[in-house]
Amino acid sequence: MSAPSRGDFEEKEKEKDVRTSNIVAARAVADAIRTSLGPKGMDKMISSPNGEVIISNDGATILQHLEVRHPAARMLAELAKAQDIEAGDGTTSVVVIAGALLGAVSTLMSKGIHPSLISESFTLALSKSLEVLTNMATPISLTDRSSLVKSAITSLNSKVVSQYTNLATISVDAVLNVLKDPLTADNVNLKDIKIIKKLGGTIDDTELVKGLVFDQQSSHAAGGPTRVNNAKIGLIQFCLSAPKTYMDNNIVVSDYTKMDKVLKEEPKMILEMCRKIQKSGCNVLLVQKSILRDALNEYSLHYLAKLKILVVKDVEREDIEFICNTIGCTPVANIDSFTADKLGRADLVEEVGTADGKVVKVTGVPNPGKTVTILARGSNKLVLDEAERSIHDALCVIRSLVKKKYLIAGGGAPEIEVSQQVTEFSKTLPGIKGYCVRAYAEALEIIPYTLAENAGLHPISIVTELRNKHAQGEKTAGINVRKGAITNIIDENVVQPLLVSTSALTLSTETVVMLLKIDDMVTSR
Amino acid sequence: MSGKVLMIDGERISGQDVRTQNVTAVTAISNIVKTSFGPIGLDKMLVDNIGDITITNDGATILKMLEVEHPAAKVLVQLADLQDQEVGDGTTSVVILAAELLKHANELVLKKIHPTVIISGYRIACTEAIKYINETLAVKVETLSKDYIINTVKTSMSSKIIGDDSEFFGKMVVDALARIKTIDYKGDAKYPINSVNILKAHGKSAKESMLVEGYALNCTVASEGMPKRIAGAKIAFLDFNLQKAKMKLGQKVVVTNVNDLEAIRDRENDIIKERIQLILKSGANVVLTTKGIDDLCLKYFVEAGAMAVRRCKKEDLKRIAKACGGTVLISLNNLEGDESFDTSALGSADEVVQTRIADDELILVKNSTNKKAASIILRGASSLLLDEMERSLHDSLCIAKRTLESGTIVPGGGAVESALSIYLDNFAETMGSRKQLAISEFAESLLVIPKQLAVNAAQDATELVSKLRSYHHAAQTDATKKSYMYSGLDLINGKVRNNLEAGVLEPAIAKVKCIKFATEAAITILRIDDMIKLNPKEQQQDPHGH
Repeated sequence: MSAPSRGDFEEKEKEKDVRTSNIVAARAVADAIRTSLGPKGMDKMISSPNGEVIISNDGATILQHLEVRHPAARMLAELAKAQDIEAGDGTTSVVVIAGALLGAVSTLMSKGIHPSLISESFTLALSKSLEVLTNMATPISLTDRSSLVKSAITSLNSKVVSQYTNLATISVDAVLNVLKDPLTADNVNLKDIKIIKKLGGTIDDTELVKGLVFDQQSSHAAGGPTRVNNAKIGLIQFCLSAPKTYMDNNIVVSDYTKMDKVLKEEPKMILEMCRKIQKSGCNVLLVQKSILRDALNEYSLHYLAKLKILVVKDVEREDIEFICNTIGCTPVANIDSFTADKLGRADLVEEVGTADGKVVKVTGVPNPGKTVTILARGSNKLVLDEAERSIHDALCVIRSLVKKKYLIAGGGAPEIEVSQQVTEFSKTLPGIKGYCVRAYAEALEIIPYTLAENAGLHPISIVTELRNKHAQGEKTAGINVRKGAITNIIDENVVQPLLVSTSALTLSTETVVMLLKIDDMVTSR
Repeated sequence: MSGKVLMIDGERISGQDVRTQNVTAVTAISNIVKTSFGPIGLDKMLVDNIGDITITNDGATILKMLEVEHPAAKVLVQLADLQDQEVGDGTTSVVILAAELLKHANELVLKKIHPTVIISGYRIACTEAIKYINETLAVKVETLSKDYIINTVKTSMSSKIIGDDSEFFGKMVVDALARIKTIDYKGDAKYPINSVNILKAHGKSAKESMLVEGYALNCTVASEGMPKRIAGAKIAFLDFNLQKAKMKLGQKVVVTNVNDLEAIRDRENDIIKERIQLILKSGANVVLTTKGIDDLCLKYFVEAGAMAVRRCKKEDLKRIAKACGGTVLISLNNLEGDESFDTSALGSADEVVQTRIADDELILVKNSTNKKAASIILRGASSLLLDEMERSLHDSLCIAKRTLESGTIVPGGGAVESALSIYLDNFAETMGSRKQLAISEFAESLLVIPKQLAVNAAQDATELVSKLRSYHHAAQTDATKKSYMYSGLDLINGKVRNNLEAGVLEPAIAKVKCIKFATEAAITILRIDDMIKLNPKEQQQDPHGH
């Protein structure tokens, strides 16, 4: 028996089954969300086990709610999530590319090419693709606001909310606001941008608040103020109510004349605390939520209202840091350390009514630029949720631009260009490797193909024309979905950050390589 | 691709199937509310699972009771709810319009037009329509005679159970709103309609309903010994218990001497007595509290000849306090650590009186100097009728509020929809792409409103609507016939008339919102091409294995 030459192998039955089943499962996932790609992509309606309905066309969101069971399919869901974390956008594309690559893999394997050879070639092809992408990109500066808005619009194009261009400008302004220095910054902490959802109005009413918005209304059980100018804001983490001991305690009053004293002790104590708060000059008080006991009782509300202090209670613990960053206050954990220097400032704190209850707005903070809040509005819950996801995507796109200050064209242009250049490159490679790299290049055409298909265009003729244009050297020719033709996509302002494309290619190739390396699956319980 | 390959625990429908299914579900919902639309619409009787009956023709109420399961239909239910919150009326029309838009869109899809084209067409149509309403159709209220508000209210009421007495109730609503008008710090007039308290009392006919100047409380005086009428009332608003002092948990009084026992009891009484004295000393002769007053404390009030009312609703109390210029107190403590009662917290009213209406005794707080509250006491033969009357009045109040706050109105009776339909049809012809089809379908869909109005009124819908369209066509092409653009349906006589002059009016904002919301909902559903329904999670394993 002669040893088989490298690249020629006979698979054992079981290994083949595992690979095929993995590929089939993963491709099924990719096929499922393929129709959501691009500006004319459709939405999925997912009715979750508890009857809740989600409408989305964000790849990561869909896959997260799908609860696929096959382990390989789950890897694709993870892949979308990874892209979401890394770039925040392009979650659908990353899964679609992975699906196409897996398709290429199964063809290659049926020709008897060893998986490890395929994965080697794919990695090679990836590094070449990244090189091509980087060469295509044009550097931008973060001070160029209109370019930033353009890429945000491209990202929002595929969402339900695409007709509202205000979201794009809001997202750009939000990111630019929290940047310390637009020239040197290389990352943005998206935690500095808070999105508050409130039902009612339309998406047009979404606004950027350079300050804080509290979801809850101010407590005015005792008729406290609802509007404070020149606010001095204190943030407390203790409770303004009768203290409790950890152990069971009994107070024994031996003399009935002391009953009065016992009864009056509580209001007196709380009064003292409220006095201290007032003495520091505080006129707006934020109280952290407490689960052990009431953060405020009727006495403290009563006193605070009398002292004309606006109270917002039930502030979530996780928001504390954000609030402190915004208004420049320090959280106070004990009444004795409640002093004037711990207070934050704002020009105006007011309660504003919306259709869905009231919100408290804090505006005119002294040194804006550390944090911003986006108050998202929408006519129904589904639209509102999708608007929130879309804003998040747009924010991530801007963040990608901050991380890597390069833009490339959208509309399938980069994928076609990469595909062509990698095909050229494959011709320089000897042997089977060249064959695999070419398959990789062809698989990338899935993006323009799907874009055209989803837009109701004829995919084959569009992709052929696109190839032709790129072969003639028009590197920025892409599918103009609005006009239904091939045009110079840069002129149409369809641009996306380089990071989104590179990370999509890297992540999907890595996932495919990983899936390829699996040759056995054992379910243990 | 089936759910099997995708390896999910549930079923998946995609493509045309899901679209058709969604449209079917949505149409089913719209068919339910369709017949209750318009002035001659009929009511629905809904019986819920515990046997409670509701009779209504308010779209939002019907849909809320239905417990729809289909996710697409749920979107429509939310839509009606939203219209209810934002506008307060027009809930049925928004649902009918959204369903019609979807039906027409689905037909286009079947003709091989890609949904995305339809979506963009609908969006253009929607913005054009709203522009046309605001620029051409809307009429500033300043140019109209004074009775425009009463006419909008009457239009809104015409479809409801109280439609026959719309003159009577219309006046009531307008009077109530005039009482609660407030000016906010920006100088805008606001009409907080929840300051209008609607009370229901069995008996007599609907026509005996009345508007009370002031606030009606569904409570009675705490003790028979108290006066039932106090003129020139000084009212104290309390949000705490008036009862014997109790020690907090974990506090005990240990008695070593039997004589002390009596002293403790006395002290308990004295603490509360001192409090009551404080209140009475401030000049209060009416005490309203949200909590209880025990018998012992009642005695003090009776002795002082004051009126005390316990267990009032907190919201009521807040509103009365606002209307009478008082504040609700949750404790008597002052900033010196002692207890006191500040006279500034007292509210004043001309008269507080307990009167008997039907079987119930009510407390009326009458106040003529400081207008900020109004109460409507509804009378009617049955509780079902009363409930429906309350809903109708609420709708009318909302409509009147919107009209007064926004200041523009449009003619009703299908006038706006037909005008828009003609306008959009013409507009569609200027579009050179496939969107043209979508826009003309949008125009066609709008006609469902006048059509359904005519059908419900048992008129010849086809003929009436064609006539209406011809009037509007004339208005938009012939400059001399401009006044025809206010033409709408006269459903009683089956004719077309100028509805602006006939006084069939709606606030423009209600129409704009209705079209906006319906389009948004239709687009949301149209964009769905895949529905994945996950099976409910299985219950935790049964320990007994069955």
